Amino acid sequence: MSMDAHDHHDDHHHVLPWWKKYFFSTDHKTIGIQYGLAAGAFLLFGFFLMIVMRWSIAYPHEPLPGYMSWIFTDGWKARWLDDGKVTGETYNMFGAMHGTIMVFLGVVPLGFAAFGNYVTPLQIGAPDMAFPKLNMASFWVYLAGGLVMCASFFMESGAAKSGWTNYSPLAGYADKQIVNQFLAGQTQWLIGLVLLITSSLLGSVNFVTTIIQLRAKGLTWMRLPFFVWAMLVTGFLLLLAFPPLEAAGIMQLMDRVVGSSFFMPSGLYSASSGAAMDLSGSGSPLLFQHLFWFLGHPEVYVLLLPAIACVAEIIPCNTRKPLWGYKPMVWAVIVLGFLSFIVWAHHMYLTGMGPVISTFFQTTTVLISVPSVILLTSMIISLWGGSIRFTMPMIWAAAFLPMFGIGGLTGLPLAFNLADLHLHDTYYVIGHFHYVVAPGILFGLFAGVYHWYPKMTGRFMDNFLGHLHFWPSLVCMNLLFFPMLTQGMAGFHRRWYNGGEGYIEKGAEGVNVFGLTVAEKISLNEVMTGAAIALAVFQLPFLVNMFISYFWGKKVTSDNPWDATTLEWATPTPPGHGNFTFEPAIYRGPYEYSRPDHDSDFFPQWEEPKRDAPAETPEVKPEKETTGA
Amino acid sequence: MADSIEEVKKAKKLYMFIGTLLFFFTVITVMVATVEWLDFGDHGFDGVDATIGLCIAAFKASLVMLIFMHLNHERPLIYFVYILGLVMAFFCMWLIGWSKSDPIQFGNETYSDGFYDLSKPATEVHGHGAKEN
Amino acid sequence: MEIPFIVNARKDTGLFNSKVGIWLFLASEVTLFGGLFSGYLFLRLYADYPWPERALPVLPGLINTFVLIGSSVTVVFAWAALKMREWRKFQIYMAITLVCAALFMVLKGIEYSAKFGHQAVRIQGGGPVQDNAIVEGHLHYAKLNKEGLMEEVDEESKNDEGVFKANRVLVKASELTFVLTRPSHEAYVEEILKQAGDSKITLAENYQVIDKDELRAGEMNRDQLVNNESALVAEKGSELSIDLLDELEDAFLEARSHDRKVRTEFLAASWDWIRNEKGEEEASTYVVEKEIWKERRSEDAEKIKVLTLRAPSEVTFKVDPPFTLVLEPSDLVKKVNVGDLSAKLRDDTLVTGDVLPSPMIMGVDALDFRTTAQRAEAEGLDPLPVIEGTWLLTHKGHHDGRDDHAEGEDLDDRNEFKKIWDCHMAWLDVEKARLAEKDREPTANDKFRVNWDQILAYQSLDYDPVKVKVASKEKSLKRTGLFDLNAMAGANHKTPDKEFPDLHFPHLEIPRANVGFESSFTPKWNTYYAIYFTITGLHGLHVIGGALVLGYYLFFGRKMYESNPEWLANRVEVGGLFWHFVDLVWIFLFPILYLM
Repeated sequence: MSMDAHDHHDDHHHVLPWWKKYFFSTDHKTIGIQYGLAAGAFLLFGFFLMIVMRWSIAYPHEPLPGYMSWIFTDGWKARWLDDGKVTGETYNMFGAMHGTIMVFLGVVPLGFAAFGNYVTPLQIGAPDMAFPKLNMASFWVYLAGGLVMCASFFMESGAAKSGWTNYSPLAGYADKQIVNQFLAGQTQWLIGLVLLITSSLLGSVNFVTTIIQLRAKGLTWMRLPFFVWAMLVTGFLLLLAFPPLEAAGIMQLMDRVVGSSFFMPSGLYSASSGAAMDLSGSGSPLLFQHLFWFLGHPEVYVLLLPAIACVAEIIPCNTRKPLWGYKPMVWAVIVLGFLSFIVWAHHMYLTGMGPVISTFFQTTTVLISVPSVILLTSMIISLWGGSIRFTMPMIWAAAFLPMFGIGGLTGLPLAFNLADLHLHDTYYVIGHFHYVVAPGILFGLFAGVYHWYPKMTGRFMDNFLGHLHFWPSLVCMNLLFFPMLTQGMAGFHRRWYNGGEGYIEKGAEGVNVFGLTVAEKISLNEVMTGAAIALAVFQLPFLVNMFISYFWGKKVTSDNPWDATTLEWATPTPPGHGNFTFEPAIYRGPYEYSRPDHDSDFFPQWEEPKRDAPAETPEVKPEKETTGA
Repeated sequence: MADSIEEVKKAKKLYMFIGTLLFFFTVITVMVATVEWLDFGDHGFDGVDATIGLCIAAFKASLVMLIFMHLNHERPLIYFVYILGLVMAFFCMWLIGWSKSDPIQFGNETYSDGFYDLSKPATEVHGHGAKEN
Repeated sequence: MEIPFIVNARKDTGLFNSKVGIWLFLASEVTLFGGLFSGYLFLRLYADYPWPERALPVLPGLINTFVLIGSSVTVVFAWAALKMREWRKFQIYMAITLVCAALFMVLKGIEYSAKFGHQAVRIQGGGPVQDNAIVEGHLHYAKLNKEGLMEEVDEESKNDEGVFKANRVLVKASELTFVLTRPSHEAYVEEILKQAGDSKITLAENYQVIDKDELRAGEMNRDQLVNNESALVAEKGSELSIDLLDELEDAFLEARSHDRKVRTEFLAASWDWIRNEKGEEEASTYVVEKEIWKERRSEDAEKIKVLTLRAPSEVTFKVDPPFTLVLEPSDLVKKVNVGDLSAKLRDDTLVTGDVLPSPMIMGVDALDFRTTAQRAEAEGLDPLPVIEGTWLLTHKGHHDGRDDHAEGEDLDDRNEFKKIWDCHMAWLDVEKARLAEKDREPTANDKFRVNWDQILAYQSLDYDPVKVKVASKEKSLKRTGLFDLNAMAGANHKTPDKEFPDLHFPHLEIPRANVGFESSFTPKWNTYYAIYFTITGLHGLHVIGGALVLGYYLFFGRKMYESNPEWLANRVEVGGLFWHFVDLVWIFLFPILYLM
């Protein structure tokens, strides 16, 4: 998109060969776009897997329709489909990979790596990231990890099938029939994971260093845009939460490849051969769950914070008033980041933890809803009394608020041990976190795409196509995910590949604790599947929009087309290598909209105060700094 | 920070001294583990030995951190970052240990995943939750 | 474009970029090793077997600790030299650091290889606790004799052709059945062909797949189609090769694709039919078990039968004459015993034929009854009688380690291990009395484990409990091994012991039925070795990584030094911080893994 970013403003820089410019670029903007495109491709792929799964849920006895199955070769279909129907094994494989791809390869790279890379250095007035080469390495390691994981779809073993959480002992022993364990999907998943963690470590070190070290003159901590704060906290989360999972991944890799028993308890025997497994035993499956969720929960906030960050930038700009409660929001995000490390075991209430420790985690989990509510409430209050411009990004951002609200509030019952015992492993949990991730986080990120697209390309995205993308998406998302909540309360298990039919056969009259039966909710499956397919169709306007607006979209007339106040809008459009044509200095906070003492309704951070006006903030003069040698 | 030449010169003596201390305490640790008259607590390895060994290790580690890694005079930011890492690693160990040592109890019987009854043939053991002794 | 603060510090933070970066990285390393240490803690505290405490020889760990501490000192000296602009001194100190790193890795390599070559086995048997005695030692070697049976050979000929480690499973293979959907069997096929020697492995039946076009033409009946020349993929009697299997696999996969396609088309057509006939409501996907649907599907089944190729998914090869196949135990799906008629490999390849006697033969350097004792105590039994009843102490030994029985010597019927155990009990009595004077008690390790140094000592005293009693009152029969370079990696079977050069470790043949879980001292053997290898391996990778970075500054740092010496000093400081961290981790690893 901003591939032609280099020509003007950059005359001191020698011309790079094309492969350095587009592929092995060290420019944070190019890397951000690379991340965005790769993550987008992975998101579409993960979405496709989900549609196949939903087909199996709604129509377990029918072969996949031609518009889904054309993508597979005959040989692949013969291996993985049962007369064209999705088998339980295939469903498990797609389920595991859907989760993995969406979380590790899709949303995190899109939110943190793509937006973070593109926007953060611009917003803090830096010429690039602190370690540009590490930044490039981080992208390529990520891509390698993703491709290694996905390559296993084409192997005899198929891709990983043990859920995206990869719990042992199942994940430690699956695919053991493969002689060379490095060619088993389950092993490749782990290798891919280790690569992804390496990538995110490189990335997060880079982000945090950049934010700490490369802020422009006068950009003090409390003048940082909220986006940068969110990225800083996200960076710390990735930095400190991922390594224990890396440890767990390495240990599981040892279990698989050299036959150790880190997570394999004593006494396991194989049902197929009826013999004791060739293992020493004495390992602990719970240890894996702990190490996984030590990452797993902070990971939720790694997904969420970039989306909130985008929305927090878009709302003040489009309401033409400052972000309400900037300081509480900053403190909330810091507290949120800290607390997110000590809530993880609420994913594990069902594993036989005792009441004392469950109470501890229950308490911290409820506590963490306080900063989350502060963030959401501040943004809702920011709307109050604003003269709202319903631009495309604002519409997405506005939809984010209630959608994320539903996602967050439906999570509260899951925080409580007692309620969670009934709801865990049902569709209620699926509905809850998909409300957070899909209509929540993805809407926030869509808002971001529409918001910064003019900066990246110099052209606006088309409004009509934007609406055609937004409204059907909003409807379909709710049709897809709301029924999950009701189904979950009726006791639908989250891993039924045939949508509950098998359960009905055994216990049609089973009424659960809420007085609901599976039979009365099973017809919702078809509604949800229809919504999922429609949702896919209505992503087409977005893809078309991205493409045609790049060539034929309305051109921006200034470098600051939204009349925004933060520093990324002070750069040329699109920004060249090195970003700024002047040395940026910062004179005020990030959201100075509609100031009565200023002529226009926005007062950019970089605009020098008028000479005759009294000094804005005399206590913080632009600092003199030692410049780099 | 030891930036001026005099300070660096002074520091070199200190580094030498710390290195010797580290050697010395390593020998002490090994002696506690192998020499009988230095074997505290019960005969052989036990909790007392573990505590002594880990305390010495922690002392050595803090010498390395404070002197070699210059944490005795460092910027606040570095302390923040490093202590945050230590705190998170502590949470990781502490909470995992706690949740493991607090299993669900029914009357006098404890259920946890730690122990499988190996005295019976595999086919008689029913999945997890075997009785712990 | 220039990134600021690469060399000079930013005023408000007081730091240059890479220093912030390395500390962030170190913080993440803290949580990485935090995760691993939680793993250690967890596995150790909740182990359901006796944790092997102080199981490793201390000396190499100790030397490595010294080496790393030394290198930590030299790396700060190298940095100080740069600060004082002394290039030559920097080079010297940095070179010493790198030598230390290399020394560390060499020692690690020696330790690792000693462990890889050390074997352990958990004996399985009867009794109240399924035996569970553990024997450690070195595997002996064997080869096949003319009858295709196992025959022990000397250590010296271990590299000869056809010699294998004496823990293998022998099967007189007369038939091999391969599953065609497992392309990963290549490694096995190669091994089988290598071992086959003069035996011919040939296809037992013609492999025939009906030609699609001929089937569609409908001119021939099924028998004719199958026996038609165009259907022949491989003739009966073709010799086994990877190429042949690939060819058969391709034919099978193609036929399977065709069949599945046909079946899918029928299923889809049936769905169209039921929707048209019955309308959406009746045809709800969850209500398909109606009679009318069943009828339609059975009609479909008849038609499908005619239209599909149905190629066999397995192929059988005849072996003539049958030969002895030597298999690694870990390649078998399930343990086999003498007298079984087949063995299945991990990829479902079936080897048909008698399982031959394949005992595990080893030189024993430690007996460990701690698991037996633990299990017995858990059952509320006195451990000693249970131990006395284990297979190891009761089996009829044919070999007591000596061939020079004097005329009229009292030949008792105890096997060598029982003799060792009796000596051990005698030693234990003395030890107990000695410790009782200090109000102490022997540990489970003292009581139930006989280590290599004890075995040698007992042997030198002719396995006479009385002599053992006398001798152990004089001096300890247990060696600490701390300053014994020869025993740096534990019991050494190759070079003679310096105290007892004429002695050798007892010889043991365990029948296949008594071989329980077995492994060399790799991560597989137990969770202690698993965590040991994982943490030290990861730590070793850090050492290598750190050495590479520091080596880069040593060999390619001159240019940086000349352009701005402070720049190189900063870089070395950052690399040094990482190096100190590696040292820091080892400071904890050494006591945790070697001394506890």
